[in-house]
Amino acid sequence: MAENPYIVEMRHITKRFPGIVANDDVTISVKKGEIYALLGENGAGKSTLMSMLFGMYEPDEGQILIRGKEEKIESPSYAAGLNIGMVHQHFKLVSNYTIAENIVLGMELMKKAVGIFPYVDMKSANREVAELSKQYGLEVNPTDVISDVNVSTRQRVEILKMLYRKAEILIFDEPTAVLTPQEIQSLLQIIRNLRDGGKTIILITHKLEEIRQVADRCAILRRGKLVGVYDVAGMDAKKMASLMVGHEVQLTLDKKPMQAGAAVLDVENLHVENEDGFEVVKGVSFQVRAGEIFAIAGVSGNGQTEIADAVAGLMKVSGGNIEINGTDITHFDVRKRAETGLSYIPEDRQQVGLVLDFSLEDNLALRNYYKEPFQKNSVLQRPVFHKYGNELIAKYDIRSANGNETMVRSMSGGNQQKAIVGREIEQDAPLTIFVQPTRGLDIGAIENIHRQILEERDKGKAVLLISLELDEIMQLADTIAVIYNGQFGKIAPAADFTTAEVGEYMMGVKKS
Amino acid sequence: MLNAINSVIIDGMSFTLPLFIMAIGGIYSERSGITNLALEGLQGMGAFVGALVAYILGQQLGGDSRVPFYMAMLFAMLGGCVYSMLHAFLCIRLKANQVISGVVVNILAMALTSFLTKAINRTAFGAPSDKFDLGVSDRFTVPGISKIPILGAFFTKVYPFEVIIIIAAVIAWYFLYRTRFGLRLRACGDNPAAVDAAGGDVAKTRFIAVMVSGALSGLAGMCFAYSISAKFSSDIYMGYGYLAIAGYIFGNWEILPSLFACLIFGFARSAGSEIVLAAGLPTAYSDLIMILPYALTLVLLIFFSKHNAAPHALGEIYDKAKR
Repeated sequence: MAENPYIVEMRHITKRFPGIVANDDVTISVKKGEIYALLGENGAGKSTLMSMLFGMYEPDEGQILIRGKEEKIESPSYAAGLNIGMVHQHFKLVSNYTIAENIVLGMELMKKAVGIFPYVDMKSANREVAELSKQYGLEVNPTDVISDVNVSTRQRVEILKMLYRKAEILIFDEPTAVLTPQEIQSLLQIIRNLRDGGKTIILITHKLEEIRQVADRCAILRRGKLVGVYDVAGMDAKKMASLMVGHEVQLTLDKKPMQAGAAVLDVENLHVENEDGFEVVKGVSFQVRAGEIFAIAGVSGNGQTEIADAVAGLMKVSGGNIEINGTDITHFDVRKRAETGLSYIPEDRQQVGLVLDFSLEDNLALRNYYKEPFQKNSVLQRPVFHKYGNELIAKYDIRSANGNETMVRSMSGGNQQKAIVGREIEQDAPLTIFVQPTRGLDIGAIENIHRQILEERDKGKAVLLISLELDEIMQLADTIAVIYNGQFGKIAPAADFTTAEVGEYMMGVKKS
Repeated sequence: MLNAINSVIIDGMSFTLPLFIMAIGGIYSERSGITNLALEGLQGMGAFVGALVAYILGQQLGGDSRVPFYMAMLFAMLGGCVYSMLHAFLCIRLKANQVISGVVVNILAMALTSFLTKAINRTAFGAPSDKFDLGVSDRFTVPGISKIPILGAFFTKVYPFEVIIIIAAVIAWYFLYRTRFGLRLRACGDNPAAVDAAGGDVAKTRFIAVMVSGALSGLAGMCFAYSISAKFSSDIYMGYGYLAIAGYIFGNWEILPSLFACLIFGFARSAGSEIVLAAGLPTAYSDLIMILPYALTLVLLIFFSKHNAAPHALGEIYDKAKR
């Protein structure tokens, strides 16, 4: 009998949650030593399917076979015993422990002092982690504390955790959502190395480009159902996108030529210091004109979010001037700036953009509640909130379980973002700042947000766009400024840049 | 003058050490992620159980026996430990708000122990009283070393419980920082999901941590009962539990820095009463002096609370299903 080529088989899996069928008769088979991608929009059931493989849920119907043997995976530790490991979207790391401590946690090496007192042997652990990280090309320093290292290092720690536990089947849940373009490339290389080392990789993602770069085969899920399993080699991005969304998708945007007017935002020699008194923005000057999308490209942490926060008033300016339509707003508080003519879509929509435990209608009125007719004699006018909420929900197609009354926390990321964008655009301010507007969103939602950004520009608004997604910037921007180490490397019309050139300025390799 | 310094040290240590062991109890609970405002009630309940045992044994064995003292220590730990399971059960199994649970446990301890003290005195011993007399604890002086100026005071008129506390503290330190259990316990307070993913049992670890805090607080309560008043009564609820909490916050949830904090509190208190004595002030002033450690707490917390960071997951209810 020929050896079974499939290391993982999930047959006719159905999983129901109250109100929805998360997986509906899904069957997938993964070969040993391949990179198998699971593609689908948010809520398509990819994570649920993998959670069952990892023992976090049990399927209502169907079978799971590992190495040809039927298994009932009832806990993550049982899955670990089958050499299945998972890198979660939200890292599960102890922030005040060292990298090595995190990796050995749960499988600590023990030694005995004076022959009787057992203690955790960190010396050997540090050595083993160093060896392991060298073996797989995952550079980490075992004695660094997690809170001191960056996101991509943390992710490498999560991968090492699996490898330390001798995982053979590695599940990655949206691993690139938090990474910069360069970090993504190095992660994809790590994934290829792992495959070449004989590991089996299951990659959950909604980014087509990654799949095209690394995956051997891909299964597409839509609304809990398996659409099909495809060899990646024969597929193009557009086909994958339409299978995933269920209809034709516009991957390129219709963009009208720019009709730029007078300068709306004028930033002169801006300096910003972070909490530790370290200068992160070092003398930046630029103008954003009416009807223009001005984009700041750069690797995360080079000062771009601080520029947005300084303009919006969330961070103090340590030097320089900011003007909106000729009014100096440098020392205005946040509300006064907003009223002068600024709308702001922040990077962190859950912490900064929304009050998660408030209802949708209250969140939609956050910019207006103190004005009439939302309040009369300092008493909130609920019917006005209600009516306004309904208007925005209809206009911006914000979907939620209970409309106006929905707790924003329970809404999907895409709809949370729609709510913020709707609320801010509705202010009709001459300047709108978008920071990472499509972070973590799926294709359908991204398309929607991009269309809205272009609409704002075509209405004659000035748009300041800050994004880590180079593709997004290349698609939308009229003018691009590349930031590196708190300073602009180059400011020029988008047409004068190639993607590669922007990348070089982002890395600080090229300076003008 | 030298005499005064000696008694500041002697009284300071006998107050510092019980406070310290209670702070270690609090560190265990909070480093595992369970807010523990219940220390006050735990030490009271521990002292009550220990005192009851000592009182009964004292009547059986006569005044000279040392057995009641050691049994009191043991049963105080047991009493505190068992009573702390109420807090653990409310917080971990029933997922109650940990601050409210702590306050409830405190109030219940106060009410229950003073009611039971009266009821037991009346029914079992036939004497209406609201306290259990414990008799004065032995104290010992180490020959030789105690003659060294100033340093010798640390070895003079030492309560036996001070030795017990030091041994317990060393063991507690070793378990928290060196063992597998300690590593997982501290991880539970920072990111319980990490422990869960690594195959650890968050609920069990936290339950044990709270029980440790109960046992150590019970021990502390018994020591206070012996050293401060030689009896158990509702005087035990003087806020020592809250002072211990201030101690470990000031000590940044680490054992050794917390010892330093407790030493400051202990010496502030003993130095204060020594000053009242030396100045010949009326005893009313010594009551005022007793607030010194608390006033100091306020001042210190203003300076240190900014730099100190509580365990990340402290007070958060851990729900496996929530991702």
